Amino acid sequence: MSTEALTLTDVTVDLGRQRILDGIRLDVAPGSFTCLLGPSGCGKTTLLRAIAGFTPLRGGEIRLGSRTLTHLPPEKRETAMVFQSYALWPHMSVAENLGYPLKLRGVARAERARKVAKTLERLELAGFEERAVTELSGGQRQRIALGRALIIDPPLLLLDEPLSNLDAAIRRSLRSELRRLQKSLGITTIMVTHDQEEALQMADQIVLMRSGKMVQVAAPQALYEQPADLGAARFLGVDNTVTRHAQDPVVASQAVTFGFRTRDARINEPVRPAALTRKGRVIECVYTGDGYHVSIDTVDAELFATSATSVAPGTFAVLQVPESALIPFGPDDRHLPPLDRHEDIA
Amino acid sequence: MTTSFSHAPSLPIPGRRLPRISLGLLLVLPALTAITLLYALPLIRSLVTAFRDGSGAWTTEHVVRAFSLYGRDMLFSLGVVSASLALIAAMSIAIAGYLTLGATPWAVRALRWLYRWPLFIPFVVTGQLARSFLATNGMMNNVLVETGLMASSSAQSFLDWRGLVLTFAWKQIPFVTLLLAGAMAAVEQSHIEAARNAGAGRLRCLFQIVLPQAAPTLWVGLILSLVAMLSVLSVPMMLISGNPTMMTSMMAHRITYYGDYGIANALGLFSYALTAVTAWFYLRLTLRREATR
Repeated sequence: MSTEALTLTDVTVDLGRQRILDGIRLDVAPGSFTCLLGPSGCGKTTLLRAIAGFTPLRGGEIRLGSRTLTHLPPEKRETAMVFQSYALWPHMSVAENLGYPLKLRGVARAERARKVAKTLERLELAGFEERAVTELSGGQRQRIALGRALIIDPPLLLLDEPLSNLDAAIRRSLRSELRRLQKSLGITTIMVTHDQEEALQMADQIVLMRSGKMVQVAAPQALYEQPADLGAARFLGVDNTVTRHAQDPVVASQAVTFGFRTRDARINEPVRPAALTRKGRVIECVYTGDGYHVSIDTVDAELFATSATSVAPGTFAVLQVPESALIPFGPDDRHLPPLDRHEDIA
Repeated sequence: MTTSFSHAPSLPIPGRRLPRISLGLLLVLPALTAITLLYALPLIRSLVTAFRDGSGAWTTEHVVRAFSLYGRDMLFSLGVVSASLALIAAMSIAIAGYLTLGATPWAVRALRWLYRWPLFIPFVVTGQLARSFLATNGMMNNVLVETGLMASSSAQSFLDWRGLVLTFAWKQIPFVTLLLAGAMAAVEQSHIEAARNAGAGRLRCLFQIVLPQAAPTLWVGLILSLVAMLSVLSVPMMLISGNPTMMTSMMAHRITYYGDYGIANALGLFSYALTAVTAWFYLRLTLRREATR
């Protein structure tokens, strides 16, 4: 089956009287990798489950290629989902788990065995056919769950936090493995994650969600550098916000607030022109491996910065952020477009 | 060296061990006494009595006579029990399956509320209900005739093996369903969703995903039902007049009218054997499951 485009139009989901998803509109290009990113309870998993058919829609439409999925039961949608808990059936062996979707499609036993062997080989688990799934490690289970989803050559792959139950090292290696596999198969993929690093590394397109709404849809770099609003920025690791002062660099004429990341703020270095500076008293200085994480109490707020050397708490320090690292926000906390910046410079 | 010192205080001191053992024994004693006096001894006594004649000599005469006199009743009991178990299994799978996978919330709620009622009705009342429902001029036939679904001339009594099967099933289905629905609810929701996502409809989910995982509980429920059906006296007494009938009836008859414990115990032997076979079957099943884990 060839890969297909997914189109969501005004997808709305209610649970009792509560609105869980509110007017989601999204276009997913065929063969692309889209991440649904957001904090817990933002509705990202509900959206994935709605696409798979496990959550009924209050309104809106879900289309896959030329088909409308909206009113189809899950078993007729041909979407392949990998669950957070892997959901491997414990009463079936590895081969039976992998072969079950084929069995449901009436594939003959010999053909099934051949496809299962081929899939196991691709997952680097050749010869695992007769193992019980309960004997496998977390990483192996994850691969079998992925193999079970892919064995029918589905037009759409849905991943529900597939890497969240694994430890950090396996997670990192599986991330690139998963991305390579997705690219080689060219399958349209949607992955739910709350890990921004994972989303930035893997996705072609990131959908940032908050309280059941889409906040921003953008490519990883655009999302990271130009978050739509202050809330989105905070979720994407912009820990510091300062109110604009008269002497601050003119990044955007209407900027009321600047946001910046801790790693872009330096302590006690020669002040460069066109940099934002703040003075304050050092509260805490913590070693982080590649430097020091310094908390500073300024008049406005508590700010965080990095320093190559240790700074004694209680002393006064100057924090500076280069103009290029400042993210400007308007009076409504919305990000000001870079166009604004060019106008100012001109 | 330090390790040997640190171990030293925990070494057992001979004089102190004894009270702990006797305390443990004291705690187990009431249960042990009850099992020995109220269960093990009567069981052994009835087994022994089945193989002894009036003078106390060993004999197989009771067993041979029990088979020649009540062979038909034994087969009848076996047939009734098997048919009841089949009906109980089918119905409890259907009800528990609908409770787990049902798509209509109000129907699931109603069924969950309704199916338990027979649990609270004792066997003797169930027997009475069945009598007035299944008799020739009972409620079932009356309703069928009144609604014009059946001519009154073709009304027949169900107070035979069919009545027994229906009554046993009616009484035991809620019990097995209660156990089975609990086991099915314990199956992870994501297992069911993964199957549906793979393309399985609800019925396939029930038989290929949910039921295999809940099967051990179904077996337990059926074995407990078998034991209950083999030990109930009231229902066959109330529903069936004449031969053949359930073995409990025959045992009661043998004891009440003849004071013949020998043959009654030989009949009991058959009940033990039947339950023992199912218990063995169940143990084998669970052991094999454990081994593949």
